[in-house]
Amino acid sequence: MHRVVRRPAAGVRRGPGPLAAALLLAAAAATAAGAREPLPFALDPYPSTYRPLPRTDTLIAHATVLDGTGRRLEDADVLLRDGKVAALGRGLAVPAGVTVVDARGRWVTPGIVDVHTHYGAFSAPFTADELEHSDVNEISDPNTANVWVEHSIAVQDPSFARALAGGVTTVEVLPGSTNLFGGRAVVLKNVPATTVQAMKFPHAPVALKMACGENPAHQYGDKGRFPSSRMGNFAGYREAWLKARDYEAKWLAYERGEATEPPARDLKLDTLAGVLHGDIRVQMHCYRADEMAEVLDLAREFGYRVAAFHHAVEAYKIAPLLASAGVCAVVWSDWWGYKMEAFDAIRENAAYVDAAGGCVALHSDSAIVGQRLTLEAAKAAAAGRRAGVAVTPEHAIRWVTAEPARILGLEREIGTLEPGKNADVVVWSADPFSVYSHADLVFLDGARLYDRADAGRRPVGDFEAGQPALGAAR
Amino acid sequence: MSAARARLAAAAGALLLAAGALADTLAIVHARAFTGDGDEPLADATIVVRDGRIVALAAGLAPPGGATLVDARGRLVTAGLMNGATQLAVVEVDAVPDTNDQAVSVGPLGAAFDLSYAVNSNATALPLARADGLTRAAVLPTGSAAAPFAGQGALLHLVADGEILERPRALLAVQVGGMSAGRAGGSRAAQWGLLRNALDEARAYGRGTRPGAPRDQLLNHLDAEALQPVLAGRVPLAIAAARESDIREALRLAADYRLRVVVVGGAEAWRLAPALARQHVPVILDPFADYPATFDELGARLDNAALLERAGVTIAFTLPPIQRSHNAGSALREAAGLAVANGLPWAAALRALTLNPARIWGLDEHYGRLATGQDGDLVIWDGDPLEPASAPVEVRVAGRLVADDSRQRRLRERYAPARQGEPWPPAYR
Repeated sequence: MHRVVRRPAAGVRRGPGPLAAALLLAAAAATAAGAREPLPFALDPYPSTYRPLPRTDTLIAHATVLDGTGRRLEDADVLLRDGKVAALGRGLAVPAGVTVVDARGRWVTPGIVDVHTHYGAFSAPFTADELEHSDVNEISDPNTANVWVEHSIAVQDPSFARALAGGVTTVEVLPGSTNLFGGRAVVLKNVPATTVQAMKFPHAPVALKMACGENPAHQYGDKGRFPSSRMGNFAGYREAWLKARDYEAKWLAYERGEATEPPARDLKLDTLAGVLHGDIRVQMHCYRADEMAEVLDLAREFGYRVAAFHHAVEAYKIAPLLASAGVCAVVWSDWWGYKMEAFDAIRENAAYVDAAGGCVALHSDSAIVGQRLTLEAAKAAAAGRRAGVAVTPEHAIRWVTAEPARILGLEREIGTLEPGKNADVVVWSADPFSVYSHADLVFLDGARLYDRADAGRRPVGDFEAGQPALGAAR
Repeated sequence: MSAARARLAAAAGALLLAAGALADTLAIVHARAFTGDGDEPLADATIVVRDGRIVALAAGLAPPGGATLVDARGRLVTAGLMNGATQLAVVEVDAVPDTNDQAVSVGPLGAAFDLSYAVNSNATALPLARADGLTRAAVLPTGSAAAPFAGQGALLHLVADGEILERPRALLAVQVGGMSAGRAGGSRAAQWGLLRNALDEARAYGRGTRPGAPRDQLLNHLDAEALQPVLAGRVPLAIAAARESDIREALRLAADYRLRVVVVGGAEAWRLAPALARQHVPVILDPFADYPATFDELGARLDNAALLERAGVTIAFTLPPIQRSHNAGSALREAAGLAVANGLPWAAALRALTLNPARIWGLDEHYGRLATGQDGDLVIWDGDPLEPASAPVEVRVAGRLVADDSRQRRLRERYAPARQGEPWPPAYR
């Protein structure tokens, strides 16, 4: 069954409304008349089967709330009803039948959103096998825009449950960075499940992972293949975009009725044309400032937009440029020095980009960091404050909630506690920017998926079930 | 340098000019001193430092006349921190082999591989580590040409203007476990067999038995000589191991050969906590290790540190590879905080950052506590040092104030938001 993704990337070249309508019409026409194949770029033959887990309406009472819009409310209540945030404020009435959580002394934030993980694709436990071949990179070609990382994901990766215990409710899983075009990413609800489809965030915009710099050049250069340099990387991007432009034009001509036969399908070009057509977002691994600036020109040359630069350790060097281009910087708080292109990382990076009016998110790329993204924000904010950039907790929380939600194009569903948003909520034992704080309760679409005080609500994946080494731990 | 730190340094400098006769004497006053003795910091402490050593420490002590005064204003003061197992100063950029010296893969050197020759007092990561409050580190090699030996490690004293190598050949490191078994024939049993054989051969060598007789000898004379201090109990054998079975073998080895063994990593060490305590085998653990990253770490859990400490095991900290050398100070504090969040008492965590590694690696006669006769490695903190958002206000190594002269400081100043619009490029700033 084919299904049309209804929401194209925000802010793309063409307006999303008419495009979505056209796609729907094309799909409908194809189904009804059997005459025309729909534009293939945005089809999802592996649709989400996610259903929220059983839930009760809940009032979280008397908490310190960082709502993700930049507000901090003291002694405030949050009402979760039918899987949505129904109300936020002080002294809310308690509707009948609602479970009340006394959150006196505790803090509440939106569910944490991690836009850069490899959960399930680079799945724990790692083995010597993975030194040779891994499910996270398809290393057979520098352009693997045809692969979809969701086809690699092992849903039993223990990393998912660890992230949940750290308050993470939404993750983007990306292919690795060995390729210029790494393949399609997927956005998942962090819900324990036995299939990938049951985790897929319904109708989330599709994204393409691309990569700059050392990784592609080294991966293929070391084998004596193209590309072996950064200039080779750019030639590789441009050649691929030229082909994609032709492919897109052929499909559009066919759609207008100028051709009787549909063009031959090409999975790589489906994805690349989807980007040019505005249906697919680009998430770009890129460390260095000079390369990011060139990628902005590359995107302009071919008429697409980059949603975010991931691992952008030098974003601070071009903060005003990124802000004016409207491209987000996705960063760590303090990783540096492990490779040449990470040599100039500074801890003030996020705060400096933010101070220039740019968009920033903290990401993990690691099953360890991914359990403590609020600490990433805490460290980045503290470094900024020491350097004279005022960053409040109510603002810094946006770096791991509202901003990553925007990067995924899901800002209408998640990322803040505004009424109508999904009831993805974390109750923290204390200030979430303290190392001593724990996620006590994690709600996803209103369902209590994690409860630190209730062993029955602390999910254990199949791999860890019954492992003798865990002893009394589980 | 933060604005607060700059102001304090400037104030200290001004006082220094006025000091005169006792210019070499420093007195930190109004400190909340975590001395290492007892769990509660000493309130309103005065710490007097002369010629790089603490010469007096007491609550409410009047500073000697003419001493340079630093007012800690009630802030916490601790000994400089120590990273229990790192590659700081032997690694520059992890992914660039010619900048790294932590391991060899070919040639004759096994146990004899001596990392101290490679210690670089100008390593790029050092100024940042110092600015983060780290003043001591044990550096461990990560591989030699003769598995399971990794080679000999060294102790560093992170002075800002001189050689940081404090004690070469301070430990002998070995690595066992599933991920490293490939280098020893593919089985961890081979690792232990080779290790025991090496100790047997080295012992025979030490007794003057002719090499090669009466049976084949696998160990060359360099390695046999390097093992002598270990067999004599003068130098600890640092065994990097994660799985319970390997830690059990480490305990057995310690008993059979009467060695001083230190377990490094020890993800499943909590399962052997009483035995480790009974045999006085310390564990240098990574508090971030809380998931089954490999089959050797299926039992990894966040309260490993708490369970070990409660059983009476001496613990110190190391870090995941990506943070181990480049954030050797800041990430270590965060790791300690994480251990506290999962049950380790706060004071025990501070000891695991100072006194415990000093004891494990044999520095505790002069480092690890705040007490008369101890080195003047001192950090004044702007908050709880176990909170990653906290930072040092002032760091002293052997009594001397350490400026933050890191590359990171230059970069953050060049690219400060207020300077973004300047007509001349950052290269001129």
